[in-house]
Amino acid sequence: MSRISLSGICIPAHHAVSRRAFLSDGAMRAASAVTVAGCFASDMGQIHALRSEEVAGELRRQDKRVILLWLAGGASQFETWDPKPGAKTGGPFRAIQTNATGVSISELLPELAQRMQHTAIIRSLNTKIADHGGGADLMETGRLKDPGILYPDLGAVVARELGRLESRVPDYVSLYTSTEGRRKGTSGFLGARYAPMFLSESMIPPNIARLETVSEIDHHDRAALRDAVGRRFAASRRSHTVDSQNSAYQRVNGLMASAELFDITQEPTEVQARYGPTQFGHQCLIARRLIEAGVPFVKVARAWWDSHGQNFETHQELCADLDHSMSVLLDDLEQRGLLKNTLVITLGEFGRTPQINSSLGRDHFASAWSCSLSGLGIRGGVAYGKTDPEGHTVVEGEASAADLFATILSALKIDHKHEYTVGARPVPLADFGSKPIAEVLS
Amino acid sequence: MQLHMGIFCRCHLLTIVLCGSNVANAEELLPADAEIANVIDHYVQQLLVTSGVAAVEPADDLTLLRRTSLDLAGRVPTSVERDWFMNQPPSDRRRLLVDRLMQSPDFDFHQRNWLDETLLPNQPYNDEFRNYLLTAVQGRRSWDTVFREIMKAEVSEGQDKGAGQFLKSRVRELDDLTNDTAILFFGVNISCAKCHDHPLVTDWKQDHFFGMQAFFQRTYQTRKTSTLAERPFGEVKFANVRGESKTAAFMFLTGEVVADRTPQLADEERKQLEERVRKLEHDDAEAEILVPEFRPRDELVELALHDTNERFFARNIVNRIWARLLGTGLVNPPDQMHSGNAPSHPQLLEWLTSDMVSHGYDLRRLIQGIVLSEAYGRSSAWTSESEPPAASTFASAQTRPLTPRQLGASLHLVIGNPEHWPAIEDTEEWTKRRTDFENQANGWVREFEQPGENFQIAVDEALFFSNSGRVQDDLLRDSEDSLLGQLKKIEDPSKGIEKLWLEVLNRLPHPDEIASATAWLDRVPDKKDESRKQLLWAILAGPEFRFNH
Repeated sequence: MSRISLSGICIPAHHAVSRRAFLSDGAMRAASAVTVAGCFASDMGQIHALRSEEVAGELRRQDKRVILLWLAGGASQFETWDPKPGAKTGGPFRAIQTNATGVSISELLPELAQRMQHTAIIRSLNTKIADHGGGADLMETGRLKDPGILYPDLGAVVARELGRLESRVPDYVSLYTSTEGRRKGTSGFLGARYAPMFLSESMIPPNIARLETVSEIDHHDRAALRDAVGRRFAASRRSHTVDSQNSAYQRVNGLMASAELFDITQEPTEVQARYGPTQFGHQCLIARRLIEAGVPFVKVARAWWDSHGQNFETHQELCADLDHSMSVLLDDLEQRGLLKNTLVITLGEFGRTPQINSSLGRDHFASAWSCSLSGLGIRGGVAYGKTDPEGHTVVEGEASAADLFATILSALKIDHKHEYTVGARPVPLADFGSKPIAEVLS
Repeated sequence: MQLHMGIFCRCHLLTIVLCGSNVANAEELLPADAEIANVIDHYVQQLLVTSGVAAVEPADDLTLLRRTSLDLAGRVPTSVERDWFMNQPPSDRRRLLVDRLMQSPDFDFHQRNWLDETLLPNQPYNDEFRNYLLTAVQGRRSWDTVFREIMKAEVSEGQDKGAGQFLKSRVRELDDLTNDTAILFFGVNISCAKCHDHPLVTDWKQDHFFGMQAFFQRTYQTRKTSTLAERPFGEVKFANVRGESKTAAFMFLTGEVVADRTPQLADEERKQLEERVRKLEHDDAEAEILVPEFRPRDELVELALHDTNERFFARNIVNRIWARLLGTGLVNPPDQMHSGNAPSHPQLLEWLTSDMVSHGYDLRRLIQGIVLSEAYGRSSAWTSESEPPAASTFASAQTRPLTPRQLGASLHLVIGNPEHWPAIEDTEEWTKRRTDFENQANGWVREFEQPGENFQIAVDEALFFSNSGRVQDDLLRDSEDSLLGQLKKIEDPSKGIEKLWLEVLNRLPHPDEIASATAWLDRVPDKKDESRKQLLWAILAGPEFRFNH
């Protein structure tokens, strides 16, 4: 079907005449003086607007992105990044030497051990909160929950700081298809513009595909009609909220076009095979596709690490999935030249106890645990911080959740001390008193 | 016992002080028996004059009908109501409309919904609480009565049992109980005073935060019957910035303290009581509730409504209702009522606060007064090239997003067959229909976000409208029982377009809109029905329908 472009909207040629008659109507066009983009060119103090073009420009050119691999339920640091072989708390697994001098990790992560040049481990998190809800609140936002204010999570902050106003792809996608510990994530006081596109029921986002009962032509045309019908009203209102509705509708077509990013069958079979058969592997591949298309933040949650019983069997299974999927992801990002622009994080709500309980499990533990940072802005091959020989306490380089957030933001070259103003209250991107861990930054 | 360390400070330089230092002198206020609407317009006009700002024109009658219906009935008007309204004498239309809407069952539903959204914002489907609120609103209970019932939570049977949901939903988080009570009932966010005394204002101490917390520290929920109860003892201890441990007094925001009248018990007796409470909290077996003599939450209610303390409680609800109806509070944001954040119209706030107290916390009285004021009735359009005046001058009306329930009910109302509304005097039938709408709106609440400060409409909503089968099948159906079904029967295209505009947007289309819509419907001559569906979609998804303006 031949098409011509009118007002940036593709419509079939045989409709163009009557459509033009509709859209070019004098009064409706005259009323279009106020553009959505114009209203959003924002002042930094206004949190409901995106960064202004000038400020965002520099960041955008650098195209920085983040993939957060969320180990929901709390992975054991002993069976991942901080093994204690031989200690009475160490469990049955060995430590293996990685390709970084002097850094050993659990033998359950053999593939990642060969890719430590990209990765810095932080072994000295002391975050204190050891219940699932409170721990997740803390590690998702980098600060304690506060009843007076709803804080945005890391994804929303990154979406706001690195997202683009005119973006045709989502800013923040959250994949979580297991039911255990499912959490949507929150944009808090940053508002719905930065809320995650949340995939919980299937691998395709809700309402992203056109209904078969609405033709493609009608779908496109009625969107233009909606703009035209509402123009007079919107033009005589100076309201960010009214503008936000228009900008939401303007993003619909772009987001619908991004539906194919969620379809991994569009990848060569060889690539699909590399990521393997697990759902986590599939989601890592989706994450790579999204990142490649310019989505600034993707969270992939893998559940359920909460091994109060049978800790070692649980970790054998989950670590194998993490080890393989994350290794393929790092390789793939590197081969495509994306790893230098992409920060890959492994994190959960907390770690697990040194004590092994009577069910051969490990319980919740937030006093001395680990996470990893790979790729963009990170000094690879580093193991930062130290726990005591049995892993009960941090003995060197203690880091809080806020310090970790300051580090992540610093790796992205975002000023972690920059403050949002909420009501009368200044809220820095990383909590007051936080300090980036310079040793893991490149 | 709660021990709080001052190590997680998350705030600085936020001025939180007691309200009251810049309160207008009572002698200067307008007489107490003046009409509320006149008092509002007097003070609003005074500020407009001193700031050299001109108010915009009043909104036209149909705009005002839509706005008032959304604010008082929680939905747009029906065709029957529109006809009735336009047939009233112009000079008296507004008052008659307000009287009618405030007597309608719609008012109670909407008032309930607003209270629910305000007090339990994260639980849109808490039926126990919603049923309680509806009973309270229908019974015309005063706001202080509702406050007492919510805070005391003593009723364990019937609809009033639901009053306990405010506390129950927060009972596991003592900080939430403390802060949400201070924010929602007193307009004060004291969370910043948790870690340290205020750095700038000497009279605002950690004592106030933990003093408020002390009223809730003994509250728990029993295991077997999920009843709210209070322990017969227990205290809040906290550490100040010097690391010294302190015990909190039962202290209100003004600094007034209630003496701790907890009976002194012998060790053995105390141990027995502790064991009973432990069982009540954790065992399935224990059922008989222990009611202590000294009950801190009762004390909080009495203290908060006592003498000048009452100003916090009264001022908060005045400001919240004002913000609901005019889009911006007299103090903004509404949880920041302190001297560092003065009201835009201090005398007006004082007058309305005194009126609230002296008329027994009758919220309907204030709502009626506000919607009859000129300030409420102005146009929300701003056509000038110049910057519009600040919202806090109330020189023009604000464009306000509909709540999920307003939007859900209005969508269902406008897409229905407009010929099927009961006659204006048939209140019995209308009550049935309105209840249906309430239920239908309920099913759509999850699809839309509850508006808050700096509200933005999410792309999820745009995707939902664009691609959801619910929109296509429910809202755009053209069966006999629908608006589209009726429009199909209208031969004259411009008559059909007029009706569409009138039923959905509550106004007649402009000539250019008729021309454009006609062109749209003619675009594919053999698919007029489909084009009409898309035209309806474009209006429902557009800003004029989405907002109260």
